[in-house]
Amino acid sequence: MYEEPRIGVYICHCGLNIAATVDVKEVAEYAKTLPNVVVARDYVFMCSEPGQNLIKDDIKNLGLNRVVVAACSPSMHEPTFRSAVESAGLNKYLFEMANIREHCSWVHGDRKLATEKAKDLIRMAVAKARLLEPLEEKEFPVYNSVLVLGGGVSGIRAALELARYGFDVYLVERSPTLGGKAALIGHVDLQTRGSEVINKMIELIKRNPRIHVFTNSELIELKGFAGNYEAKIRVYPRYVNERCNSCGECEEVCPVDVANEYDFGLSRRKAIFLPFRGAYPPYYVVDHRVCTKCGECVRVCRFNAIDLSEEPRELGLKVGALIIATGYDAYRPLKGEYSHGFHNNIITLFQLERLLDPEGPTRGELVINGRIPKSIAFIQCVGSRNTTPNARSYCSRMCCTTAIIDAIKIREKYPNTDVYIIYKDIMTYGSDESLYLEAGRRLVRFVKFEEEPPNVVISPEGLFIDLYEYTIQERIRIPVDAVVLSTGMVPRRDLDDVIRVTRVSRGGDGFLREAHLKLAPAESPTKGIFLAGTVTGPKNIMESIRMGSAAAAKAMALLSKGKVIAEPMIANVNEDICSGCAICVGVCPYDAISIKIVDGDRIAHVEEALCMGCGSCAAACPSGAMQQLGFKDRQLRAQVLAAFG
Amino acid sequence: MSEGFEPKIVVFACNWCTYAAVDLAGTSRIQYPHNVRVIRVMCSGRVDPQFVLEAFNRGADGVIVAGCHPPADCHYSEGNFKAFRRFTLFRRLLDSLGIERERFKLEWISASEAGKWVQVVNEMVNDLKKLGPLREKLEVR
Amino acid sequence: MEKPKVAWYWCASCGGCEESFVDLAERLLTVFEKVDVVFMPVAMDFKKEDVEKLPDGSITVSFINGGVRLEEHEEMVKLLRRKSQIVIAYGSCSSWGGIPGLANLYNIDEVLARKYLEVPSVDNPNKILPAKRIKVKIPELQREVELELSDILPKLLPLDKVIDVEYYIPGCPPTPDVAWNALQALLSGNLPPKGSVIGASSRSLCDECPLNDTKPEEILLKDLKRPYEFIPDPEKCLLVQGLICLGPVTRGGCGALCPKANMPCTGCFGPLDNVADYGGKALSFIASIMDYSPMEEEELNKVYDKIPDWVGTLYRYYLAASKLGGRVGLAKSKLKGEVAEV
Repeated sequence: MYEEPRIGVYICHCGLNIAATVDVKEVAEYAKTLPNVVVARDYVFMCSEPGQNLIKDDIKNLGLNRVVVAACSPSMHEPTFRSAVESAGLNKYLFEMANIREHCSWVHGDRKLATEKAKDLIRMAVAKARLLEPLEEKEFPVYNSVLVLGGGVSGIRAALELARYGFDVYLVERSPTLGGKAALIGHVDLQTRGSEVINKMIELIKRNPRIHVFTNSELIELKGFAGNYEAKIRVYPRYVNERCNSCGECEEVCPVDVANEYDFGLSRRKAIFLPFRGAYPPYYVVDHRVCTKCGECVRVCRFNAIDLSEEPRELGLKVGALIIATGYDAYRPLKGEYSHGFHNNIITLFQLERLLDPEGPTRGELVINGRIPKSIAFIQCVGSRNTTPNARSYCSRMCCTTAIIDAIKIREKYPNTDVYIIYKDIMTYGSDESLYLEAGRRLVRFVKFEEEPPNVVISPEGLFIDLYEYTIQERIRIPVDAVVLSTGMVPRRDLDDVIRVTRVSRGGDGFLREAHLKLAPAESPTKGIFLAGTVTGPKNIMESIRMGSAAAAKAMALLSKGKVIAEPMIANVNEDICSGCAICVGVCPYDAISIKIVDGDRIAHVEEALCMGCGSCAAACPSGAMQQLGFKDRQLRAQVLAAFG
Repeated sequence: MSEGFEPKIVVFACNWCTYAAVDLAGTSRIQYPHNVRVIRVMCSGRVDPQFVLEAFNRGADGVIVAGCHPPADCHYSEGNFKAFRRFTLFRRLLDSLGIERERFKLEWISASEAGKWVQVVNEMVNDLKKLGPLREKLEVR
Repeated sequence: MEKPKVAWYWCASCGGCEESFVDLAERLLTVFEKVDVVFMPVAMDFKKEDVEKLPDGSITVSFINGGVRLEEHEEMVKLLRRKSQIVIAYGSCSSWGGIPGLANLYNIDEVLARKYLEVPSVDNPNKILPAKRIKVKIPELQREVELELSDILPKLLPLDKVIDVEYYIPGCPPTPDVAWNALQALLSGNLPPKGSVIGASSRSLCDECPLNDTKPEEILLKDLKRPYEFIPDPEKCLLVQGLICLGPVTRGGCGALCPKANMPCTGCFGPLDNVADYGGKALSFIASIMDYSPMEEEELNKVYDKIPDWVGTLYRYYLAASKLGGRVGLAKSKLKGEVAEV
């Protein structure tokens, strides 16, 4: 039903902010001459209550159906005037602003030129206003549950947060145990290991009926939109059930022997194994990827805890939001990088952490290659900060603190062992600075390199580190018994599996990208999918925990009202014109568009709850069938044409 | 060039970055030439090359399309990627159609770059004053 | 009841529109039975005076094809406009200038020089260019006569830039089926609002192309290919294979003849209703699906470099009707004289 536009134009003086430069009276008189303008007024402060009442009264008394306010920037008062318009019974999207303050009176000194420009801007706003259409804010109900992908420290924190506030949580972890990297390595401070934090958090998870833990599980499908996701997970068989009492007899007879990823390759394990002492679920598991199903373990198990016929199963979960907290991988030095792979005394920081862990393969004894080293050197920034050709460009954030904590502990436990830290810069930020001082007090020797990374030399006399020391400006050679490469953090090698299912995207450094570092931290660009922990980049344990809380808070905010409100200025398909050419589908960064068959025709379909209103599809649509509500082609064209009178 | 020729420039500014930068120039009271008319879009990815051609046809002497810095600033992730792809090709079209390079700019201006906005405007106004009005060249002379 | 009067005129035309109209074959006979042709230079010996003698508005429909290139065309179409109730722009040339419209990329002098002086097969030692008045010496008769040639307009114009046009029938040429659909609409009186394109589809060519269903979910290209580079798989969408197929941006109704023959659509049916500038829209959709980030400007330019003539590719049939109408800054002729001597 076409109704003739009846436009009211209101020109704000903004005190003297506008009126001192722009001749507001002249502009109001000009506005009256524009077609479809029924009334044009000027007033000292349009955003004030009397100002807003001018609009409301005119809507009621003059039957206005469009309103234009020429004043400050819409970023200031668009919501104010929209509310005013709505309260007078007019759809709030039948309102347009002309920015004659920030874009005019404040930046142009010449009264005549500023006034002429103000007239142009108002004419453009009126041209668009003529073509505005009422828009709805659609609501969708939500599921009050969240799927947390990743059972590491940030995922666990997020799960606890969510459960605390009444949301059901599905905690889905790919490996057979919760805990992630922090259960194995890392420190919160000199006294507290990551594993202690993990253990405490796992206790809380155990007791929480709202948190449903799925280990040995993967997310294989994600359909739907924010608030209304249908997720599918696949639970791989453990083959071992809770009857297991961890006696370990099965382990003795298992013929399969592989490198133990829980010790970062320092030790070996069998196909049937217990990941680590604090693992949850707290019993053995069979690695379904390497098990030969020989049945030896079943034979010796006295508790009937093993069933090799267990099949993978798939579960459908209805969730309102997803939190991706899948963590990171340790950088793997190339063979030969700092001579890694050519000598058993050259290990990584992650491996050292396992050695120093009282629960680790050597019960906390610093035994490398059978002996306690008399001297040990850490080389920092391995795999980070462009030190070597294969290194990443960023700083991995936690390696300096971890290396220094380890150095302090070694000096404490083995006072006769010399410890060197060979660094480019020491990045112990915040309160970790005190660790740096403590290390110095304990006679850890800090040796600096600059451009050239140190060289690890393997000779019949032993290991040496050759470098150009920057502070004394001399080439030096340090003989050492063992070398620890402080390797950094890289994105998980299997991250593509997550990306494929959730369609989130990577940033420049390969980690997952947050929607906007400043405006939307902990959010992925997809509405309803949040990010926590090291999946977005290197962090220490506390930072990961905080981000887990942040992501949980964001998920709760999304779901808290019981409904989601879709963005109204979204893409819209004219089905009479759409030919299903599908150009739009690949253009949408939110995967909001798909091709559906309507009466036998291919037609583009916009998932309204997913569309964020960028308009890229509208500009790409070759037939003009796709338009953006509120920014339609004809509305923008009208502004272009009106710019010239 | 005609004396006192004041070029008319149409600007498509994305809401989250460039429009905010223009606002910031205003709040900072930075004075710059009056010749620009800003049209607000939510994202530079909304800008259809047809609009730019229309602007030139109707009397714009210059057109600017401005959005958020790639690769990471776009509020909608990759809208600016589309603007980049389109207007990189568009330049070639303008070349073939005899429209001087100075008449069209694709710029990345973040919300804090009021100075860059002013610089871009000044540069274009100066260039266009030297080139003269486009309108005259639309007719065969 | 008097039969409706019909006229058919050609401006700068290749004759293809006439040929395809004739391809209506038997259907043509039914048309000619129902109408009274009062002017049709291609087939019948009517003169301009015959049209002038008709009362204004007495021609029910005039079909005009070809772009307005000469003063004579301008004169004739204006005359036909006065005499007609309905004027139909028949074919891409009259609708949008067509391929001859690409001449608008050049100054008229460049066009004339190319045609009359530079083309390798031209034998014009005296470098004679056409002029409005031609003096011809006829030695055998020992006479000199003066002929009047129509002057050439500096730009080729689509029909609607010269006269009001009620309807457009698209195509280069319009297929017989499209012409038939349009004629049916005319004869039945079941006509859409003035200014509409008739006889064709309101959706793009993809709608009727059998390869539309073969498209993957997302269309993103890393490369563009020219038709000579490879033989496309006839069972897969040509655009997805990297050819610049303008199907998505072109009005359908032709039955996707070119893609069915394994050639990408070049856009002869013109834009859809909501598109203001065909080439701009074509540029927008092609560029939008190029899978490159702004950090890969060099790589993207390398791909764009593969197409040597973007204007020709995007505006092949549409340049004269585009927002800019052709190259800007074109100059009037300096080479042409008032008189040429032959």
